[in-house]
Amino acid sequence: MPDHVRGQYQEDLATLERRALEGLDLVLVQLDKATEAVEQQDTELAELVIASDDVVDGRYLEVHQSILTLLATQAPVATDLRLISALLHLMKCIERMGDQCVNVAKLIPIAGHEPPADERILRDIGTMCRQVRTQIIQAKRAFESRDVEMARDLVRRDDVVDNLNKQIFRIALEVGDDADRREWAMTMILVARAIERIGDNTVDIGEQVAFIVTGLFREFQDASHPGEPVSSGQP
Amino acid sequence: MTEPEQTSSESGRTAPGINLSGTIQETQGTGKVKTYSTREAVFKLENVTASYAGKPAVSDVTMDVYTHAITALIGPSGCGKSTLIRCLNRMNDLIPTASVDGRVLYHGEDVYGPQVDPVEVRKRIGMVFQKPNPFPKSIYDNIAFGPRVLGMDGNMDEIVETALRDAALWDEVKDRLETNAFGMSGGQQQRLCIARALAVEPDVILMDEPCSALDPISTGKIEDLMLELKQRYSIVIVTHNMQQAARVSDMTAFLIVKLDAEEKHRQGKLVEYDVTEKIFTNPADRRTEDYVSGKVG
Repeated sequence: MPDHVRGQYQEDLATLERRALEGLDLVLVQLDKATEAVEQQDTELAELVIASDDVVDGRYLEVHQSILTLLATQAPVATDLRLISALLHLMKCIERMGDQCVNVAKLIPIAGHEPPADERILRDIGTMCRQVRTQIIQAKRAFESRDVEMARDLVRRDDVVDNLNKQIFRIALEVGDDADRREWAMTMILVARAIERIGDNTVDIGEQVAFIVTGLFREFQDASHPGEPVSSGQP
Repeated sequence: MTEPEQTSSESGRTAPGINLSGTIQETQGTGKVKTYSTREAVFKLENVTASYAGKPAVSDVTMDVYTHAITALIGPSGCGKSTLIRCLNRMNDLIPTASVDGRVLYHGEDVYGPQVDPVEVRKRIGMVFQKPNPFPKSIYDNIAFGPRVLGMDGNMDEIVETALRDAALWDEVKDRLETNAFGMSGGQQQRLCIARALAVEPDVILMDEPCSALDPISTGKIEDLMLELKQRYSIVIVTHNMQQAARVSDMTAFLIVKLDAEEKHRQGKLVEYDVTEKIFTNPADRRTEDYVSGKVG
């Protein structure tokens, strides 16, 4: 066969993927700030998280527009088409993860400057945040290297986050009779829920890695039928 | 449903999950995927090798072409697409040095059988070429030529009108049927050639790059027409336009150019044959992927 052609197209596609995956780095920055804001009850930092969401949204719009341009001008097919489809999903996940960081940040003023905090809950939320942080990094590496096994391993890691989320709920139920303390605990349930959703998004990204590599969409976890074999085929 | 048969050739496999109306794919216990066709095969090609002066231009092609479907042949220049499509209605007979080995079964009958009349073959299996080639006659006479030569029964006016209507040309030319066909636009001339092929009531229409000389609007009209015609005819098309193959065809065969064992002569080989959606979203063979992606030419 003759030499490879369409060099500019391949370059544009690689740039598009890099810009999309950098969106996960932006989410990491937001998550780190949100984590610190929760642990330190820092409402100013929380406001910064809310304001900085525009950066994540901006990246989403930029990549989305570039995808439309590439679809219109280059008509990608086969693996390239699957990559484009996966990048659309990836950007949606990034945008949602950014929003979850904002959700966490918005809850911090509600909890107050010196809340009647429960150390166990704060500790578990901190652990959740750090666990989700590693998942985001792993999802990015799996996407970059097209490593399905690494992507699938996100399910195992996310189980840790899910269990911590349930544990926080249980602790909150038993937090005592003090109304302020109960209200704070309920707020932390919402914080834990938002972080847990970020973890789910990393698994979704992992599923897109499998789609790029295999051409088949398979849910790693079937949320509606936990414990049963997952469905397969086209999404 | 017919017996299971693999639709891939050299790559020999397909993946489950994408079905086209008329085919059923399933994974067997061994992990091997079989494609069943609910359609009848209009052609069965068995180890077809077409040669010029004893040198194979395309070799060892085995594939089924289904009825009421559009089958696209794609591949780089020199891969034998046109040679292969011309094997289907014995057009290569017109080239003195050409020969065909293997079997081309048309509804189970060998097209190259000793008792078969090539004229009858070409009546049933019509052909449209890259460049529109109307006769230097009126629009009417272009359509009527084939039926007259073949001595077809029926009202000639009706035959002409039906063919022009089927080719989506009637409304544009009904008031100037006696004018010279050379006065028509390129797109109209190509549809006239399709109408001319339809006038002799064929079963199959072969199209060898039918839109390569046409503008996008004319191309769109021909593509719409092909989708209409496949309801009643089986269509095989050779195209260099990947997007055209993706837009209109149900099945796609990808051929490549290979050097022979002595590395002296180039010859075409079938790499992959599968449902078009599969070829353009998740081809089984890396060479197909590189070609349809435009990464190699």
